[in-house]
Amino acid sequence: MTTTTQPTPGKLGADTQWAVETHGLTKRFGENVAVNGVELLVPRGCAFGYLGPNGAGKTTLIRVLLGLTRADAGSMFLLGYSVPRHRATALARVGAIVDEPRFHGHLTGRQNLQILAAAREPAARVRIEPSLERVGILHRADDKVSKYSMGMRQRLGVAACLIGDPQLLILDEPMNGLDPAGMQDMREMILSLVAEGRTVVLSSHLLDEVERTCDAVAIVDRGNVVRQGPISELLAGASLMVQVECSEPHRARTILEGTNIGAHIEVGQIGLGITLPVGTAREVIAEINRVLVHDGISVYRLQEIQASLESWFLQVTSRLGSEE
Amino acid sequence: MVTTRFMELRKRRGLMVALILVTVGIPTVFLAIRLLLHAFAPKTYGPAGGYDIYTALVSGVLYVFGFIVAATLGATAGSADLTEGMFRHLVVTGRSRLALYVARIPAGLAIVVPLVAVGFTIVCAVCVFASPTRLNFNGVNVPVNLSRAGLENWAADHADEVICNFGINISSSSPSASTIPAAINSVPCGNGSGAGPVITKRLPGSQAPPHVSQAQVREAARLIARMDYSDYTRQFLYPSDSLMIKSGLWLELEAVIGFVVGLGLGSLLGQRTVAVILMIVLEVVLTPILSRARIAHLSNLQRAVVGLATAHLAPGGLPVLGGGPGGNAGNPGLLPESTTVAVCVIIAWLVVWSVLGAWRMMTRDA
Repeated sequence: MTTTTQPTPGKLGADTQWAVETHGLTKRFGENVAVNGVELLVPRGCAFGYLGPNGAGKTTLIRVLLGLTRADAGSMFLLGYSVPRHRATALARVGAIVDEPRFHGHLTGRQNLQILAAAREPAARVRIEPSLERVGILHRADDKVSKYSMGMRQRLGVAACLIGDPQLLILDEPMNGLDPAGMQDMREMILSLVAEGRTVVLSSHLLDEVERTCDAVAIVDRGNVVRQGPISELLAGASLMVQVECSEPHRARTILEGTNIGAHIEVGQIGLGITLPVGTAREVIAEINRVLVHDGISVYRLQEIQASLESWFLQVTSRLGSEE
Repeated sequence: MVTTRFMELRKRRGLMVALILVTVGIPTVFLAIRLLLHAFAPKTYGPAGGYDIYTALVSGVLYVFGFIVAATLGATAGSADLTEGMFRHLVVTGRSRLALYVARIPAGLAIVVPLVAVGFTIVCAVCVFASPTRLNFNGVNVPVNLSRAGLENWAADHADEVICNFGINISSSSPSASTIPAAINSVPCGNGSGAGPVITKRLPGSQAPPHVSQAQVREAARLIARMDYSDYTRQFLYPSDSLMIKSGLWLELEAVIGFVVGLGLGSLLGQRTVAVILMIVLEVVLTPILSRARIAHLSNLQRAVVGLATAHLAPGGLPVLGGGPGGNAGNPGLLPESTTVAVCVIIAWLVVWSVLGAWRMMTRDA
């Protein structure tokens, strides 16, 4: 692996503020660049969402970070340790679920964890019982995994992460296969893990779950990280949306297009949907109301729409309207 | 980690049942049937055990099936984590992939070695405790463990049986060459009991028998016994302790080779089925052919076949690869190979397949 960007020197282990740090990380599959010079900084002690459409390279990046496949270029650090140079040291404090969690079906959940614990430090064996209890499958721990539902295998996957007492958890679509109660449990568990000072990287396409769970996100599209940062800051930079219920919506649209507010206006069944440019002052909303009333349009309701992570995600990704 | 890998393999109930059936079940059922048949019809069916049964089961059943069982388990150990999705979890623990690979070797051997040992112990037990009480030498019941003089004396007392049944090879330079044929030809061979026609054993080219004294007949029987003594000493009621120990170690060596090669091949291919098929083809088809075929320009390549190498290390007295007794000296049908070369070939197979399997595991995308 070649290094395209020199990392900040002198940061090792607990000294660094980043749980995950990548510079120019690249992974190619033939002509296809799955991860393209990714610069990613995941702060310690937070829940970090990693979002992207299908095929954006989310899972590939995780696989590269965990040493499941080799990077073609770039450098990366987990918990401050250079990977793959100090891979064993770094991964000793990392737990991860990648893709669908699969285990030996002929063994029980507990026996699968015993195998994984044996590959870790001796103390990991002691953590099997608490981990099973924490993810809520202790009562099924002695059943064969082949009899587990998808949701239970997800929980077992999280338990497998926890037996290493990880400082960093990387969870790839952990909500898959979970029922609503299971998703609620998972969300609470992630928040509790963060409350304990651990870092959780959550790769998901369930934007509302990420928005409810994570403090910061990165949006990846076509192998590139296109935005990253705290959700509140990112949404502050989103376009301002205004919904207007009024009489004569078509005339109202013509009137507003004649002004200099620079908005994108769509006519709907009950009124107008107005998208204002990023950075527009909220006073413009009052100005819209004044202009419409002045020209004889009856305004019944005027509502500022809070930008959601989903709407912002669709704005910044190049795959507007894709299945995700 | 070895303990948990052992558990992972041991808990594969279907595989374990199949392996036990092949390694322990087949010889056990075979011997049980022979025991029952002998118990109910001892005149029709001989004893269940004995030296001949031992050599047949060891070199014909345990040798081949032990290898296949070990190879199957090795291929499973080498590929199961990958095909069942557990490999990824193991890699994420940070433990070196080499360590993950190496841990499978003792874990698998801890299953294979006892399995072969149990099957072998059953064979040994039956072959020793249910062996014939008298030695059947050329169709004649002969007392066991006789000295040369003892055998000669016994032959003199049973001159007719010896002359009619023992192998005779009298050279013209023999001091008794002129009198022995006459003595032999004087003995009527057949049913001997007076019922039915009497057949006279006549040496080729000899004339009608002159009058021969009983002393000459006894002397002829002594001479025949003396000539057959070396063959007699190679006949046993049951296998000796030495042969059993050597055979057991040899079978375990074969099983270890099967497991290690199967593990490497399974890891290399990333799947069990193809690896097992290749191993069976190697053991059952390629090895017997290559060990006997004489291909002038490929003889060194043939010697590199691990089955041929292990056949050369077989204890003397065991027929291997469908031929005569094992070892270079005793099995002229095998392609000649020195013991040193055989040992080197075996070590090379163990090392090369282990390296290939470990290399693939270390470089494979998880």
